[in-house]
Amino acid sequence: MRAEPIRYDCDTLCGTWPARAELDFRPEAVRAKLTAAGIETGLVCSGRGAWFDDIDGNTETLAAGPGFVPVGTINLRHALRAEAELDRIRAAGVRAVRLFGPLQGCEPVFPGYRHVVDEVLARGLLPLVEGDIRSCWPAFADRGARVVFLDVHAYHLADFVLLARREPGFVASTRLLNAPDSIETVVGEVGAGHLTFGSRTPLHDTSPAVLRMRHARLSDADWAAVTGGTLEALLKNRVKP
Amino acid sequence: MKNHPVIDVHGHWGPWFFAMDIGDVAENLRVMDEWGISLQIVSASEAVTYDAPGGNARLAEILAANPRLRGYLVANPNDPAATEADLRRYAGTGLFCGVKIHTGYPRREISSPQMRDTFALLNEYAATILIHTWGGDVLDLPGLLAANPRLRVIAAHMGANRWDLAAEAARDCDRLYLEPSCSITDAGQVAHVAARVPAGQLLFGTDATLIDPAVSFGQVEDAALDPATAEALYWRNAAALFDLAAPAEAAYAAR
Repeated sequence: MRAEPIRYDCDTLCGTWPARAELDFRPEAVRAKLTAAGIETGLVCSGRGAWFDDIDGNTETLAAGPGFVPVGTINLRHALRAEAELDRIRAAGVRAVRLFGPLQGCEPVFPGYRHVVDEVLARGLLPLVEGDIRSCWPAFADRGARVVFLDVHAYHLADFVLLARREPGFVASTRLLNAPDSIETVVGEVGAGHLTFGSRTPLHDTSPAVLRMRHARLSDADWAAVTGGTLEALLKNRVKP
Repeated sequence: MKNHPVIDVHGHWGPWFFAMDIGDVAENLRVMDEWGISLQIVSASEAVTYDAPGGNARLAEILAANPRLRGYLVANPNDPAATEADLRRYAGTGLFCGVKIHTGYPRREISSPQMRDTFALLNEYAATILIHTWGGDVLDLPGLLAANPRLRVIAAHMGANRWDLAAEAARDCDRLYLEPSCSITDAGQVAHVAARVPAGQLLFGTDATLIDPAVSFGQVEDAALDPATAEALYWRNAAALFDLAAPAEAAYAAR
């Protein structure tokens, strides 16, 4: 089993989570879980923005502190103020935006969802997208988008590989690629540039994703890409203003 | 790697209809060796999803050639005659040690009349059943167990997204066992269940080779159970439930 640090986790949360009020979402508690698991940096987004208020949520995210890369969010149900909020968080240094489509009851065909996607991509921000890859991909297709899909499941691996073959910027989180050969198959079919590690700490247990990653049968170069290099490239290669 | 045997009470053999290159029994043995699983109790994926008698027959051949595997006969609740025929066919072979029932593929809920009749049939054989649970249907199991006093039942996935209800169901029913395998890994579910259910009713399952054992091992690790409870979950309870202590210890010693 590999013991090297996992440099980036694309899927971590802070704030609070009403459905799991007993869990500790304070940034310092999340940081402790990541450190214990050997994860250096988490892309973090506050649940406040997902559930209630994106502006206050983004401010909360920006205050998460060391060990995190802040990820903004936009309320897909209130997309009229998306542009101003995206400009605000971008000026504050935010480089990625998380879209909570299923949680907010907003499907990718909804006008608000499409508008937010357009504005996120226009600003060179990296979208981190929740939801079923089989239904949320069209909003990002055929436009050279770089995007991380957080919920690609092993059961839907064929659909993701088919998309990745034609979309160089489509990347999956490893979290639900949990068949014995899913990670290896994606890397073998389309390359490590299409995968990045994610755990959804602290909403989900951290160790399942970490253990699967540490046992993945990848070359050193591919393992390094999935645990850091792929995401680093996505964040660096955003469109310049 | 644990310093004791591990018995996986929820395994599968055979290919699935998803894009995964698994199915050969060599993959079962590979993940068992990788994770230190001494024994694995498996059902045939074909039997679970499509043809119970056909899949059971093909699994019997695999079991005969692989002593670290034991089998679940799959019972299709829509076909009790086939279930009874398989129970008689494999009785005394030592290959199968339990019965697997799914609810989704045969489209029969745990509360259905067909499930009631299947449980009654299996009660005559004093079977140990692994049954798929998802959501609130786990609450239907204590009633079925009360009606069938010779059965013992493992709630697969411990209710999945309603592991809280699984804990409620198992707390007052000492013949209901829980195992954690699931691709959804809600934080703290194993610790929640372990705090409420007697330690003797906790089991370890992976759903391999559909799901990598990393997932269940990770869930249990994050629960930070005390050593005695962890060992009970990882193998001692299963050894007692299925009378597998000696082969589990032998497989562990031989690794």
